[in-house]
Amino acid sequence: MATAQSAAAGDGAFLSLRGLRKVYTDFVAVENLHLDVPKGELIALLGPSGCGKTTTLRMIAGLASATAGHVMVGGRDITSAPPYDRDMGVVFQSYALFPHMTVAKNIAFGLQMRKVPRAEIDRRVAEAISLVRLNGMEERRPRELSGGQQQRVALARALVIRPSILLFDEPLSNLDAKLRDEMRTEIRDIQQRLGITAVFVTHDQSEALAMCDKVAVLNAGRLEQFGSPIELYEHPANPFVASFVGRVNRLPGTAAGTTVKVGAHDVILPKPMTGAVEVMVRPHRIALGGPSDTAPGANRVTGTISQVAYAGDLVQYGIDVGGTRWFVEQQTTAARPPEVPGTPVSLSWRVEDTLAFPAQG
Amino acid sequence: MAQADDMHTASGRFGLVAMLLAPIILVNSFVFLLPILNLFRISFNEALPGGGIGPGGTLENWYKLAEDSYYLEIMLRSVGMSLLVTLLALLCSYPIALYVHRAKGAWRTFLFVLVVSPLLTSAVVRTYGWIAMLADQGLINNALGLLGFSPLRLLYNQTGIVIGLTEILMPYMILALLAGFGRLDPRCEEAALTLGATPVQTFWRIIVPLTAPGIALGCLLCFVLCVSSFITPRILGGGRVFLLATEIYDQAIVTLNWPGAATLSILVLVIFGAALVVYTRAVNRLN
Ligand SMILES: Nc1ncnc2c1ncn2[C@@H]1O[C@H](COP(=O)(O)OP(=O)(O)O)[C@@H](O)[C@H]1O
Ligand SMILES: [Mg+2]
Repeated sequence: MATAQSAAAGDGAFLSLRGLRKVYTDFVAVENLHLDVPKGELIALLGPSGCGKTTTLRMIAGLASATAGHVMVGGRDITSAPPYDRDMGVVFQSYALFPHMTVAKNIAFGLQMRKVPRAEIDRRVAEAISLVRLNGMEERRPRELSGGQQQRVALARALVIRPSILLFDEPLSNLDAKLRDEMRTEIRDIQQRLGITAVFVTHDQSEALAMCDKVAVLNAGRLEQFGSPIELYEHPANPFVASFVGRVNRLPGTAAGTTVKVGAHDVILPKPMTGAVEVMVRPHRIALGGPSDTAPGANRVTGTISQVAYAGDLVQYGIDVGGTRWFVEQQTTAARPPEVPGTPVSLSWRVEDTLAFPAQG
Repeated sequence: MAQADDMHTASGRFGLVAMLLAPIILVNSFVFLLPILNLFRISFNEALPGGGIGPGGTLENWYKLAEDSYYLEIMLRSVGMSLLVTLLALLCSYPIALYVHRAKGAWRTFLFVLVVSPLLTSAVVRTYGWIAMLADQGLINNALGLLGFSPLRLLYNQTGIVIGLTEILMPYMILALLAGFGRLDPRCEEAALTLGATPVQTFWRIIVPLTAPGIALGCLLCFVLCVSSFITPRILGGGRVFLLATEIYDQAIVTLNWPGAATLSILVLVIFGAALVVYTRAVNRLN
């Protein structure tokens, strides 16, 4: 159902970035960014720290001016509109709650600025407070709240004005892991229930994939790929996306048709290539077997386990394959203890799970 | 046992704190507290002609203060003028303090030095500078004359004192404001903007409340300095504007009425006490 919805909205993007560019004195923070966000979808801006995510978000919100390009909402060019005319809710990384106001006053602020009648303000604030489950906290000050509660106030404050677009700047990065997972589902749930168009900035790939309809991967101010989580993970556009979205083994090789020589082994590619290539295989897509096991129709190399890291749900092996270190991840089971270093093994994986890109540089 | 241990360290720490504080307490008692107690005592002594201090136990000085409307007048003038100067200094200093607070790096350091630099010059010199500006043939009146306006009387009256004191107290006001701007967070201002507040609304609803501690501190400091300032009112008032500080000087040095001067000094202390009470209440309400 989600895919049908996104396909239908695809031609009528609600939020559009057209060739957005930001230059700080002589440093290019964002370069020629095109992005279309369909109405009602949650999209992620994903990338390493310093790649220009916050800058992009600030240009959308009107808190930073664009050096070039346009921001369009519902077909209207708002590039030069001030932030207070943009009707966007922003959840800041540091929450930016007003320390001199109670929780209720923080949430009511946006409605007061919109001259909403007093009785309606009270009703909508109460509604927002129960939406983020902060009942009983109305009269507290921000400093009397935990990080997770402050986060909820920030969310309620942005939601209560019923913005046309909701912007999040790494809203979960200051929370501990357990709370982060909780807030993730909560934010996604609220966003879907209210049908809000939202942009979610994060540097955490699992957060982006798990929460968002589509993910835009940024690197050094440029858009590397924009697609659904499955497209990104299974069909990354380039080595950067492949290695940033999930872990990979990166192996240099020489291709001729669908066969590529990786060290002493022949690896079959899903589609033909020629010349120097970089072959990538995700560690958890590799199956371990005995050294003489065969794997008909699949790729297979042999090596020796050199390192074992047991993490409870997963065990990660470092495996020496003809002088190169491969990583393999296996789910654990009480039925079998992990392998020990020095064990000779075979590594096999499906041809479709083999990624290959022309070698760079 | 753990409890006994805690008590032991607690009392040990208390002893250390007491020891560290002892010198300052001792010095303050001798150079600050004792003289004030002495002033308080003298205010109950009889004033003898020719500068003598008569026997104590009389309320005569205080009666005079209450009966003579002249004293009420100079007290009201002093307090009123100090409130005005405080307000003007706040209005002139606030934008400067906000700008310095937001400046970054070397530019900020430079601005900070610029703000503090007037304090490196004596107030007397700066006051004489103001005479050159405010006099009948001074810079301002000459400029007005060139523009075809009639000259203004800016010197040897309250106007001159207000102008001079405002400028002289501005560095203190700016420093106090900057000290109290710690809670100001640009992210909060941005949050207000995204919630639909215009810059003007953001200023009144976010910036002013968050800088209120600085405003309160600056106003207290400025008011107290203004009530007790003597040199600038003396020079720019030309001896024609009578204030508490100038009156204390006149009684102590000119007419040698020490009990009278002591009584007025205690009155100034009471005004300071009132200012402190107002300040404390304001700060408590802010929290
Ligand atoms: N105000 C600024 N002046 C100069 N450079 C800046 C400014 N803000 C951000 N940058 C630079 O722009 C780049 C992108 O920053 P940002 O958008 O905050 O990255 P991200 O949010 O992806 O971590 C960074 O290299 C940062 O140093
Ligand atoms: Mg950022």
